[in-house]
Amino acid sequence: MAVTATDVGIGDALIDPALCDTPGMMTHPGLPTAWVWGVAAIAVAMFLWNAAAPVAGRAAGFNAWSAIPRGRLGRGIREWLLDATLPILRTPWLLLTLRLLVATLFIMVIAAGLFGTPIPERNLATVLTWNLWWTGLVFAVFFVGSAWCAICPWEAIAGWITRRHPWGRGRADGSLGLRVPRMLRNVWPATLMFIGLTWLELGMGITTSPYATALLSLFMVVLATASALLFERSAMCRWFCPVGRTVGLYSTLSPVALRPLDAEVCARCETLECYHGDDRIAPCPTHQVMGRMRENTDCTSCGNCTQSCPQANIAWRWREPGREALDAARPRVDTAWLMVVLLALTGFHGLTMMPFWEPTLRDFAHRIGDSGQLLLSFSVALSLALLIPLIVYTGATTLTRRLLGNGAEPGRVFSTLAFACLPLAFSYHLAHNLNHLLRETGDLPVLLANPLGQGALPLSEAEHYLRYLNPGLPQDGLFLFQSSLLVLGLWLAVRIVRRRIGSLLGRTGGVAPVNGAVARWRNVPMLGFVTGVTLYHLWLLAHPMIMRM
Amino acid sequence: MPPRLPTLMMLLSTWLLCAPVQAHHVLGRPAYALSEDSNTPPSMAMETQIGDYFVTMMAFPAFPRPGETARVNLYARRIEDGAPFTGEVAFSLRDDTWLPASEEPIGTQPVDDNVFRQGFIISEAGEYIVTARFHAAGQPYVIDFPMRVGDPASVTPLVVAGGVVLSLLVGVNVAQRRRIARRRARVHPARSATGDGGA
Repeated sequence: MAVTATDVGIGDALIDPALCDTPGMMTHPGLPTAWVWGVAAIAVAMFLWNAAAPVAGRAAGFNAWSAIPRGRLGRGIREWLLDATLPILRTPWLLLTLRLLVATLFIMVIAAGLFGTPIPERNLATVLTWNLWWTGLVFAVFFVGSAWCAICPWEAIAGWITRRHPWGRGRADGSLGLRVPRMLRNVWPATLMFIGLTWLELGMGITTSPYATALLSLFMVVLATASALLFERSAMCRWFCPVGRTVGLYSTLSPVALRPLDAEVCARCETLECYHGDDRIAPCPTHQVMGRMRENTDCTSCGNCTQSCPQANIAWRWREPGREALDAARPRVDTAWLMVVLLALTGFHGLTMMPFWEPTLRDFAHRIGDSGQLLLSFSVALSLALLIPLIVYTGATTLTRRLLGNGAEPGRVFSTLAFACLPLAFSYHLAHNLNHLLRETGDLPVLLANPLGQGALPLSEAEHYLRYLNPGLPQDGLFLFQSSLLVLGLWLAVRIVRRRIGSLLGRTGGVAPVNGAVARWRNVPMLGFVTGVTLYHLWLLAHPMIMRM
Repeated sequence: MPPRLPTLMMLLSTWLLCAPVQAHHVLGRPAYALSEDSNTPPSMAMETQIGDYFVTMMAFPAFPRPGETARVNLYARRIEDGAPFTGEVAFSLRDDTWLPASEEPIGTQPVDDNVFRQGFIISEAGEYIVTARFHAAGQPYVIDFPMRVGDPASVTPLVVAGGVVLSLLVGVNVAQRRRIARRRARVHPARSATGDGGA
């Protein structure tokens, strides 16, 4: 290092562009007032109607999915799709090609982050990771469930290193194959990592640093490799991966999933190739038996079961969205915590992108004497953002338990009703990310042509405005999607509350599941919770949101 | 009009017109910006809050070449009343590495139109930290500002990640060999004792 001081003349300083070229903040417009009042009125009406209606038993309740006519045409289309796709899904080539493609992009991300320009909007690492993948992932779950996990580059690279084979079983001695210790067989590690990821993203600002993005990518692939080398099957996917666990939970709401074509075939099966694999195909990475699988949470859609089933009985199936969250999924305390954390953090994401966030944080930091990047202040805010929804949710479940009056265990009520948090988090996540996805993912072909951003200049004000003016969807269409998502999320959450409270009444005994006169007030605390969260999300969407880059 | 007034007006309008840095919710991280009205290279700015002061540092150009003249400007104002800091600011430079070499002083600058300006030339490509130090009301203030000179290549993370994976692979391989040896010893104790692999 050799540094020499030089003079800076007064005249030179007066034309110094560094004093006046800092760009202004660009914001996504918030929902117009008419939309806000419309959604708020629907939310309040849903609360009132459901508070007055009796708690639904397992057989009661309106099922919109079942109202869709399923005639000969529908069956014909389904069978045609199945005939066309199943042979492709039963070979490893499609998945292998997609995995290679995604792994190549992933390696490009690492290379661009380490060796490319530090200008975030001109570097493939930041744009592809945060603007496209991170925001688009939740949309992928909406359409294709947990399919992302099947082509995830972390797991693909870890698998290639461990098995030393592009697909299938590969070398059996590549991993120690240890069982995951009992204390780690839950989603707490993933929950903590998800909170950590949020801290890195919003507190440290990793989304604007290509270098830090590359470091995180390397860390995740090393973690996946270490897990694959030490533990049996895919312990990373099942227990540790914050993205995989989030995708898994959200995919319980998805309208598609890998499932048996004929349940009877699975019931008669004695060899369980889906669980054990066969000579050629590896076993299920998360220990699932397809014939007994009730929820999509742990399925990574890897396709091993589709390829190994000798009866060709596993394929992508349509199903009623949210069916698992309604009544099929088994409540677990650790998973319930992750659902509440997901709900809290999606709202927190929106809050940190409000124009008032930074001045408020600065003010708080000044009061407590925090300096620099204000990480202490941010950490306090993050903790509060986690704590407040948790306290409110716990209060609502405690009240519900008292109103149930049948001695249901607090942990059981907490974990059973947490499924109502999922559609709320998912719908707001989608509505929030629509802005990012439609206005901030431009120039991808240019970035792919110059992934390192060599010689590229920062985004100019004119380019900022162009992105702002061309969201790729009419503005009113965007508002319609955002409003509809909030309403749909609330609708599903209300159905889950009613159905799950019905199941708590029915299973624990004491009171009949369907008893309007007695039961109608029992769901009020949880209905108040889901309506309140929806109104909070609506309030967030009503504000302009600052663009990420 | 007094001669200093245009300068003050320009500075005032600059601060009124320029919104906070582009990295919307992240204080203390640099943001790159492009001047629309000139053909000058991009600059880099960072806002941060420290003690009683709100500090803005700007570097021009954002990515100086080795041997090229670069400038850092610093503006500090009190959070309470917006009064600018008018003392002296000392600038120094160090490598931005895990084990940095000793810090080199660049210079100490008096205030000039409420801004502290330091020009310098760095002869070697690399990642650096420019540090600004000042004292106000008996309290020391230190602000770090990252700066990239030239196109430094960083292979350290790749080497570290590769090293960790390689160590794990070797460890697993050794453990597997021991497992196999133990298994053979259980199945063929005599052969194992004589060192016969039993091929």
